[in-house]
Amino acid sequence: MQTYKAPLRDMRFVLHELHDSASLSALNGLEEVSPELIDSILEEAAKVCEEVLAPLNASGDEEGCRLENGVVRTPKGFAEAYRAFRDGGWTAIACDPRYGGQGLPHSVNKAVEEMICSSNLAFGTYPGLAFGAYQAIASHGSEDLKQRFLPKMVDGTWAGTMCLTEAHCGTDLGLLRTRAVPQEDGSYRITGSKIFITGGEHDLTENIIHLVLARLPDAPAGIKGISLFLVPKFLPAADGRPGERNGVVCTAIEHKMGIKASATCQLSFENATGWLVGQKHKGMAAMFTMMNSERLSVGVQGLGLAEASYQGAVAYARERLQGRSLAGAKHPDKPADPIIVHPDVRRMLLTMRAYAEGCRALAGWVARSLDEMERAGDQDARQRAADFTALMTPVVKALFSDLGFEATNLGMQVFGGHGYIRDHGMEQYARDARIAMIYEGTNGVQALDLVGRKLPQHSGRLLRGFFHPVSDFIEANAQHPQFGAMVQGLGKAFGALQLATAHIASKGLGDAEEAGAAASEYLRLFGLVALGFMWARMAVLAAEKLPAANSDAGFYAAKLTTARFYMERVLPQAGGLYAAIKSGKAAMMALDDAAF
Amino acid sequence: MPAIRKVGVIGAGTMGAGIAAQVANAGVPVVLLDIVPEGAANRSALAEGAVARLLKTEPAAFMHKRAAKLVETGNIEDDLHKLSDCDWIVEAVLEKPEVKQALYRKLEGVRRPGTAVSSNTSTIPLRMLTAGMSEAFRRDFLITHFFNPPRYMRLLEIVAGPETDPAIVDAVARFADLAMGKSVVRCADSPGFIANRLGIYWIQRATVEAFDLGMTVEEADAIIGRPMGFPKTGVFGLIDLVGLDIGPQVNASMRRALPKDDAFHAIDREIPLIARLIAEGYTGRKGKGGFYRMKKHGPHRSKEAIDLATGEYRPEHKADLPEVKAAGRDLRALLTAPGRVGAYAFRVLASTLAYAASLLPQAADSVVAVDEAMRLGYNWKEGPFELIDRLGTAWLVERLHAAGMTVPKFLEESVGKTFYRVESGRLQYLGLDGAYHDVVRPVGVLLLEDIKRAGKPVLKNASAALWDIGDGVACFEFTSKSNSLDDQIIGLLVETIATVKQRFKALVIYNEGENFSLGANIGLALFAANIAAWSEIEKSVAAGQQALKAMKYAPFPVVAAPSGMALGGGCEIVLHADAVQAHAESYIGLVECGVGLIPGWGGNGEMLARWRADKKLPRGPVPAAAKVFETVSTATVSKSAHEAMDYKFLRETDGVTMNRTRLLADAKARALRMVEGYVPPTPPEYVLPGIAGRVGFNGAARGFFRRGLATAHDLTVADALAEVVTGGPADIIDVVSEQQLLDLERAAFMRLVRTAPTLARIEHTLETGKPLRN
Repeated sequence: MQTYKAPLRDMRFVLHELHDSASLSALNGLEEVSPELIDSILEEAAKVCEEVLAPLNASGDEEGCRLENGVVRTPKGFAEAYRAFRDGGWTAIACDPRYGGQGLPHSVNKAVEEMICSSNLAFGTYPGLAFGAYQAIASHGSEDLKQRFLPKMVDGTWAGTMCLTEAHCGTDLGLLRTRAVPQEDGSYRITGSKIFITGGEHDLTENIIHLVLARLPDAPAGIKGISLFLVPKFLPAADGRPGERNGVVCTAIEHKMGIKASATCQLSFENATGWLVGQKHKGMAAMFTMMNSERLSVGVQGLGLAEASYQGAVAYARERLQGRSLAGAKHPDKPADPIIVHPDVRRMLLTMRAYAEGCRALAGWVARSLDEMERAGDQDARQRAADFTALMTPVVKALFSDLGFEATNLGMQVFGGHGYIRDHGMEQYARDARIAMIYEGTNGVQALDLVGRKLPQHSGRLLRGFFHPVSDFIEANAQHPQFGAMVQGLGKAFGALQLATAHIASKGLGDAEEAGAAASEYLRLFGLVALGFMWARMAVLAAEKLPAANSDAGFYAAKLTTARFYMERVLPQAGGLYAAIKSGKAAMMALDDAAF
Repeated sequence: MPAIRKVGVIGAGTMGAGIAAQVANAGVPVVLLDIVPEGAANRSALAEGAVARLLKTEPAAFMHKRAAKLVETGNIEDDLHKLSDCDWIVEAVLEKPEVKQALYRKLEGVRRPGTAVSSNTSTIPLRMLTAGMSEAFRRDFLITHFFNPPRYMRLLEIVAGPETDPAIVDAVARFADLAMGKSVVRCADSPGFIANRLGIYWIQRATVEAFDLGMTVEEADAIIGRPMGFPKTGVFGLIDLVGLDIGPQVNASMRRALPKDDAFHAIDREIPLIARLIAEGYTGRKGKGGFYRMKKHGPHRSKEAIDLATGEYRPEHKADLPEVKAAGRDLRALLTAPGRVGAYAFRVLASTLAYAASLLPQAADSVVAVDEAMRLGYNWKEGPFELIDRLGTAWLVERLHAAGMTVPKFLEESVGKTFYRVESGRLQYLGLDGAYHDVVRPVGVLLLEDIKRAGKPVLKNASAALWDIGDGVACFEFTSKSNSLDDQIIGLLVETIATVKQRFKALVIYNEGENFSLGANIGLALFAANIAAWSEIEKSVAAGQQALKAMKYAPFPVVAAPSGMALGGGCEIVLHADAVQAHAESYIGLVECGVGLIPGWGGNGEMLARWRADKKLPRGPVPAAAKVFETVSTATVSKSAHEAMDYKFLRETDGVTMNRTRLLADAKARALRMVEGYVPPTPPEYVLPGIAGRVGFNGAARGFFRRGLATAHDLTVADALAEVVTGGPADIIDVVSEQQLLDLERAAFMRLVRTAPTLARIEHTLETGKPLRN
């Protein structure tokens, strides 16, 4: 059976100690945010997640969603859970107070999201997509649209979706065919078919607000001719309540590997009434403003599942008695030793833990940067944060979802055969984790975004926000009496990253395929170094705190040990990745298409 | 005829004054005369006013303020006698034969027989100017047609009459070449000579076709400019620059002068919009605007362009033509692009190239002359016959026929041949006789271009090459994009030093790019800085320091031969050479402070040593350091080789070559003169002001800051520079070695390259080409 306890101590460490949450109050609109406030929110969120959402995770997976006469039924208990979630104000935490939101920072919201993903990822997709739609409308919608739709989306009465994909176009949205025809009253009529729409239809809310990419009659071909429209399931009546049913129906739901309790819908729009969000033909730009936040959230899904799987695996490794320690029996009083005594089991557990805690720390850094790019008072600071966020978004999305899947796989492995059967829920984590590597831009596309767009922009200016702090840290700590060796290890991996970056910049300039061939390994190398930097910083911090830490001594000591594990057992992969990158595209481009 | 030692110029308008200035730039005294204005108190007001104007024009007409002193002014009523000792008299008065001839008759009384007289006419045939003049006059008379502005445009068209004494022509041509730096193209006595004959046709064709095909002015300029290797002003931008009123005047003159069957007449029509614009004072940049204009809205200015159909101004829309982008460097693809773009490109270029071919032999005796005239007189990257070679003669002829356009005989006969070819390493051109002839350079002209055609480099990598230029001299050439300096160049320079030591007597550093070098590749440096590759950057800086030091102390003479801009690291290479032979048009400076850096390859030390050796400076360590601080902190760039001597980027003993094509030969000769008994320089030892000096210099910088003339980051940069030029921690009595100074310089450079405002400056400069004041 799945159990989940929110890792509140580690979250406090990341938010308060590592990323100095106290200084969040210097940002516009966050004047009231304090570490104490954050703690109370995290504790409340932990209760909802542990007590309301987690218990529905396995049953929701087992039951899945059903489509009956165009109506989607979510699994038993979901509607009640959603009501509790909404009544607790959780749909509103990061929304603008002007529309009834609580105005909390991304830094806090992403931590709450992690708990939701750990306890019930499928459930989390409904409010998650609604928040995505909220962000797009809030940043690009007209005042009228905002007033009519946002308050109810913020309080969770209405949900939202993002309708991008069509049967023939996923990654290449320039091909999309859905049409929008302008009407005399300023509205539009939308016609077309969309697939893979998460939460496209369900029974959790009284209305669903779809954001739909479509093409106007005068649109230029390709990606520059796409506009964004708001299309409600029910058109709001004069009193603001859901009125006439709009021309959008769910024609099917997908049968999937994981997140089965999340309704993945095919939607058919037929002369559906909608309104333009943002400018004509600038729909992609409107989508991309929320993409950083969305992709970070997908990364957090990987993190959440890695954490949940880790917790399950640790519990099992302590209990499961099999064989004896290689160093001789540790528990001679028992018929066998618990499997946690075995180096290989420890390898798996520590890998999962190092991933989860490292990713949490990195997510905290990037979430903080999202807050700064939106709220810093100084234009330069906002620009620096925007650069850093843009750089790290593909890294976080792809790395975290890759590591999430790896970690959930390791979690299954710790369980042996019991991980493969459904009773313990370990295989569900792996199945649920798999999608994060695919949606919101496949991880291959993330890697291309990193090498093709983020890396060369402004002669590498975006890189500065990451490379400079890492370089400064290494310079400052390379001779540290306690951490010198660890920091030098980081320095070595960072050096490989610098060389790989320069290699791609020089080779990729003349031959885009060279950059493409290096992309995925480069993103992994980048990510491993980023986690390495987080671990090195956490180790230094933990060592500073340890002497005065009473009840927390165990926490800090474990931090130090896990940091060492990461540096010695995971980070050295950087060298291999660099060797692969440097070899160039030849090996993968030589084979004739027909010879595959 | 004897060498020309003094020149007279009559007519102090734009052209006459500019010609006088260029004579003075050559260090030759010149008399500038004009008429006496009616009722003027100062009878020489016109010529004097012209000199005052010359001193103010931008780009400058004089290469040095001193040159203005060589211009003696006067008027043609009182001062004609001043021409009596002139060896050459240039007439640049009104384009009216009767006015010119009246003046020539006056000259007959004062000039020494056997001295040259030339007219700067652009439209009047020589035979008309000499009609009725004495035989002695006809023997001494020729046309010298300069282009505007005379300092900067390198073309000089010369027309000699049947009776002109060849010795007179040679003497003028030689003076124009060696002293004034012009490339002389001899033309037949036909209307418009070569460059304007073709240029007028080209502009008229591009104008009428734009109206006929419904192009916007931006589209027309985007097609007719860069993609064809013509200046980016295209056609309408060029008309604005020249003046809208000039077109109808020259067209009228061509209309009268050209034979009836000339292709020009078919496109010669008045364009009502242009007539209206001129009438309303829209004569181009000199007037209220032209096809483009700047519109002011309060403090803001925005560019507008005229709608050719309605004649109304509207905001400029930069033309973004996919056809042009798709064609890239492929001229055929551009001329066959679908729609209006291809049609416009084809009609304008194909007809212009055909017209060029029709000029042989009536206006020019070879394709070389026509190509050179267009390259140097109209700043085309390639001349018309070079462009035809790129298209293919057969291809062009076939297309011309298909379009029903006339194909000149010479072009038709040349099908199957190229106008240029390389035979055993020598460049040859197709003559009117159908045979190939060597392109012969004038005596004393040595081009790396020719050497490269004939042989293989001694050394070579991606960014530089070393060539054997004969007589034991090697030439180091930058080959990187825009000659930006990178690790490869430094690497090959190190190899070069070893090679020259073994196999050559001397080294010349020279190239034939537009600019000698704009300095280090800051794009690479910025990327390296962004990924915090500090040790790599420091290695590059140190490698540059050591390479230039090795070059300076190499056991053979090194002569740098810059032309165009030599900035930053490019300037530092010049500073480390044993001697310099500079093209007169050399713009030299240490501009690193502009991008938030300081010179990093030993430039500071070289400048300190030079100022220190200046006996005119007050004694003590401060004045020299102050001079360097002032020059470098303000990123001063000399506007000529002569001015570079004032700033000590060049030594008084360094040579100046007026003609670009003679630079390499002059540099080589200078290097060879130094070989005998060559001793490398002794390393300098510096006595510098130390900390107290640094405090003083910083105080001065803060003064600028307080007056709003410097930014906070300027102070940081100035302090780093002050630290270096004052010797860092050195005390005033310490002797600082060259290496210590290099170490200080490198450390200060590294400190600056790590600051965010410096990186922002570099990025801004790379992306906009303009400095960032942060």
